[in-house]
Amino acid sequence: MENIKSRLKSSDKNSMMLFLIAVLIFGVMAVLAPSSFLGIKNIQGMCTQFPEFGLISFGMMLAMISGGIDLSLVGIANFSGIVAAYIMVKMGGSPASILLGCIAAVLVGALCGCFNGFMIGYLQIPPMLVTLCGLQLYTGCGLMITKGPAITGLPEGYSVLGNGTVAGIPLAFIIFILGALLVSFLLRSTVYGQHVRYMGTNSMASRYSGINNLAVTIKTYAVSGVLGSLAGLIMVSRYNSAKTDYGSSYTLLSLLIVVLGGTNPDGGKGSAIGVLLSVVVLQLVSSAFNIMRVDSSLKTFVWGVILILVIVIGQLSRERTCE
Amino acid sequence: MDKIFLKLENIKKTFGGVQALKSVGLEIRAGEIHCLAGENGCGKSTLIKVISGAHDPTAGSIYIEGEKIEKLTPIDSIRKGIQVIYQDFAVFPNLTVAENIAMNHALLTGTKAMNWKKSRELAIQAMEQIGAHMDPDVLVERLSIANKQMVAICRAIINDAKLLILDEPTTALTQKEVSMLNTIIRNLKDKGMAIVIVNHKLDEIYEIADRLTILRNGENVATGPIGEFDRKRFIKCMTGRDVEEVYYRPEDSREVILKVENLTRKGSFEQVSFDLKKGEVLGITGLLGSGRGELGDALFGIAPAGEGKITLNGKEVTIRSIEDAMKARIAYVPEDRLTQGLFLDCSIQENTVAASIQKYLKKGRLNYKEMYEATQNWIQKIGCNAKSPKPLIRTLSGGNAQKMVIAKWLNTNPALLVLNGPTVGVDIGSKADIHKILRELAEQGVGIIVISDDVSELIQNCSKILIMKNGKTAGSISSRELDETKLSRLLTSEEETV
Amino acid sequence: MKDRIKRGLATNEMIVVYIILALCILIGIVNPAFASASTVVSLLRSMLVTLIFAAFEMMVIISGGIDVSFPAVASFAMYATAMIMNGAGLNSIVLAFIIAIVIGMLFGFLNSVLVARLGIPPLIATLGVSSVANGATLAFLGSKEINKLPESFGNLSKVFIYEYVGESGITYQLTALILIPVVIYIGLWILLKYTMLGRGIYAVGGDKNAARIAGFRVVFIQSFVYILAGALAGVGGVTYMILMRQAHPQVLMGTEMMVIAAVVMGGTRITGGHGSISGTILGVTLIALIQNNLIMLGVPTYAQTFVVGLLIVVGTSITSLRTKKIQNSVKI
Repeated sequence: MENIKSRLKSSDKNSMMLFLIAVLIFGVMAVLAPSSFLGIKNIQGMCTQFPEFGLISFGMMLAMISGGIDLSLVGIANFSGIVAAYIMVKMGGSPASILLGCIAAVLVGALCGCFNGFMIGYLQIPPMLVTLCGLQLYTGCGLMITKGPAITGLPEGYSVLGNGTVAGIPLAFIIFILGALLVSFLLRSTVYGQHVRYMGTNSMASRYSGINNLAVTIKTYAVSGVLGSLAGLIMVSRYNSAKTDYGSSYTLLSLLIVVLGGTNPDGGKGSAIGVLLSVVVLQLVSSAFNIMRVDSSLKTFVWGVILILVIVIGQLSRERTCE
Repeated sequence: MDKIFLKLENIKKTFGGVQALKSVGLEIRAGEIHCLAGENGCGKSTLIKVISGAHDPTAGSIYIEGEKIEKLTPIDSIRKGIQVIYQDFAVFPNLTVAENIAMNHALLTGTKAMNWKKSRELAIQAMEQIGAHMDPDVLVERLSIANKQMVAICRAIINDAKLLILDEPTTALTQKEVSMLNTIIRNLKDKGMAIVIVNHKLDEIYEIADRLTILRNGENVATGPIGEFDRKRFIKCMTGRDVEEVYYRPEDSREVILKVENLTRKGSFEQVSFDLKKGEVLGITGLLGSGRGELGDALFGIAPAGEGKITLNGKEVTIRSIEDAMKARIAYVPEDRLTQGLFLDCSIQENTVAASIQKYLKKGRLNYKEMYEATQNWIQKIGCNAKSPKPLIRTLSGGNAQKMVIAKWLNTNPALLVLNGPTVGVDIGSKADIHKILRELAEQGVGIIVISDDVSELIQNCSKILIMKNGKTAGSISSRELDETKLSRLLTSEEETV
Repeated sequence: MKDRIKRGLATNEMIVVYIILALCILIGIVNPAFASASTVVSLLRSMLVTLIFAAFEMMVIISGGIDVSFPAVASFAMYATAMIMNGAGLNSIVLAFIIAIVIGMLFGFLNSVLVARLGIPPLIATLGVSSVANGATLAFLGSKEINKLPESFGNLSKVFIYEYVGESGITYQLTALILIPVVIYIGLWILLKYTMLGRGIYAVGGDKNAARIAGFRVVFIQSFVYILAGALAGVGGVTYMILMRQAHPQVLMGTEMMVIAAVVMGGTRITGGHGSISGTILGVTLIALIQNNLIMLGVPTYAQTFVVGLLIVVGTSITSLRTKKIQNSVKI
């Protein structure tokens, strides 16, 4: 009890604000379109949609806390999804092949992340450049396997991951919650979590405090990559196929979520709760759009507008507190 | 000679309720070298920014050559012939020497076109004026610090500067470079230029200044010809109190804590050997470029030594990385507090436990309560004036922040504590506190090494002083046989061994 | 003197030249048909639009920023221009460029407010603007390609400044549109090298604070950079439309990667302050050469993204490492 109280206290204004916004949107939609919005179908639908970009957002958040950015996540997601799909299809779709495919995908995600981390931490190449190149590279890797068209003919059992439910709760949602808990645990309760914050705040001082920046960087991008690969697995299951150009809007969306969730774009600060709430808010907005039959490209426009507004407001309020 | 170039009257400046300048008056005459001294936070930099037009004073009047200036903008200030050379020189690393020098001139005349030939000519002319020799086509990022400063000076004098302000120009220079700089400054003075130098090293002030103004807490407490100040008055004016100078002279001990033999890092230092006995505080000094800082970095594994043997508490340790050093319980307070020592955007608590997070991992979870208590404990023990561990560390003064950097390392329970410039930019009160802490630690058996160029700090606190020259040990002397003048002389003498 | 020659031969530009030469020899050996005027013509054609984009991206990066919004801005400008021209029945090329430039400048202005006035990290700011521009194109203008364009567009795309009939009787024609990047590069060269504004761009990228102290109007310079970048993105969009004889709302999306890679390989430091016109041209040439000729080297289509990605990773790593080495070298 004590723990929860202190946690509530420590959760910042930003999170409170997000929580209120979420409640507000939920309330408004519940009044405007109760039948379609409150229906179990819609809520289940929402819970299967956001895990993909939600997991990617957590990866993005880790990278941003470390003082960098990870633009390669969508590439990693597709690449690892393709590897999983390839293995499943080649091995005939047995349960063992599904398991093996999933393991391979996570490994791929971790490896890609390690590569990013190595380039950033050891060769000291700016994260933006590394991950932008990484996006091209991992997409290229995926394309080498698919040779262009989507991989289809996935085992039926695998679609459970993206579409199935356990006791009415979508499996993808459960995976997302596990990922969120993992990130939250990493940031709050591990030495690594503290180190990554220190490094993001001042990498020079963290080195002079005996923190191994290279190890922290590699771990950060590896975890980020693993989260990306989980998102990839869910995507493959939901689309029932694997291709290199799925989820191309997720990079921007995840940046928006992370910044909206109160993560400092300059590094050092960010909370898992904030990002979680921000994912929920965006999903609510997105669902509201769907119910109001708003064109999906208008969403892209709105996401951009919200991203700009959030940053501008954040920047202006920061300037005010500085004065 | 006695023409007053710049006159400030009752200058006040407040930043959101904080009074940085309470009431400052200043008179700068043409053809004089005027030193401006004061502890950190006394308002020197604010005053300079008022003169350069970067800050608008809250109240007060500014007269330049007798004319009252209503509002001074940066460009006005430059047009009136005021040039400031900041501590970081504000040169462009990505442009050539010639362009850097000529840039201001072009900006001032308001030309829209870039004339490369003229830039080059101007630059060569300016360099000739002060006797500097640099390739005008080389990029400034390839220059040494002293040469970057030359570029900044050339750039300043190119527009018929009438007042040149140098903000702590000597901190990063070697002794030789300082005397070269002094020659240049005297030269400019003879040409009728007014020169203001911010400095608080008394020896250097005596060397160059005609007049001296001392600021304290945003007020000027004393001003007058340099002859009117002796050491005692200087310190009294700087701190506002008589500081008692205590000397730490522990009894001889036989127990060796640290033994360093033939430590070598190519290009930085060679064959450095010394030992540190229990209870001693070892001082390591030398001019800039002597390898003193690099030696500290090597002991902490930041730029590890290639060869040599280090024995700590009877056990031989190999230091190839920071991890090795931490494992051997070596702690290091780095030279640059702001960028290397502190996480400015983190709380005091986060700063204090930064090097010892592992300690608080209990049953797979971090115990934040213990961190809080430990920090509170350190705040009291080390005499930091923070009210709680929660506020950001940037809210602390330099001295208190430095105390918490030391606390960060003490929290790791070190066997050896190396401090590189432990009291740079620290007020005299906190300085005394820090010295007291170091002595107590030494008495408790922690090995303490103080790397410093502050002669009085070394004499007062270190029982033994190692002098480095050109990357080699020039000698190791018991401080019983030394006084400040003798140590200064040894430092600057040309001889390789002392 | 010898030292200077030695240094001159080891500049970033020269290294790219060596790589290009080596690549040409390699391709020439595999496929002797490579060494012909037709190669140059097709290379120039494929470089044309990328060259325009790379020009201003280099300028933005030199100023210490980055602009990833240009593909979306160019698409918007291209599509909107086509719609306006068709809708109003206009037929003037000059007018088309003016419309596109104005549209581009508006987005550039948005970028400049976010980056220069409010100090928002350029990557995030321009990503947001990219999303706004792209979303607006699709949501408000349309998502289908427009194939019916004003006549004058078609006429211009048939103006050639060089024609060449190959041995097999195929005619290779170099479009006059190549003059657009040529003019832009000359203009940019003069701007960057011979005006105080241009030197200000370098100064801001080298040390923003020092630039402020020296008396540069930093906000103005940064704003100028982003607004000019927006205008040139508009030019790039219309040029693409004329060259390809269609307006497409999505086709340029994703090109930022290649453009940034080309700029960085050309020796522009991603951290700002360094970059040259010649380097950028060489960088674009190198990437176009690779993209155009991978098939000749026997790399299947599906592997091209990977190979190009790998080359970019290697290329940018080398330039980044070289930069680090220069920065850590002994000071004089």
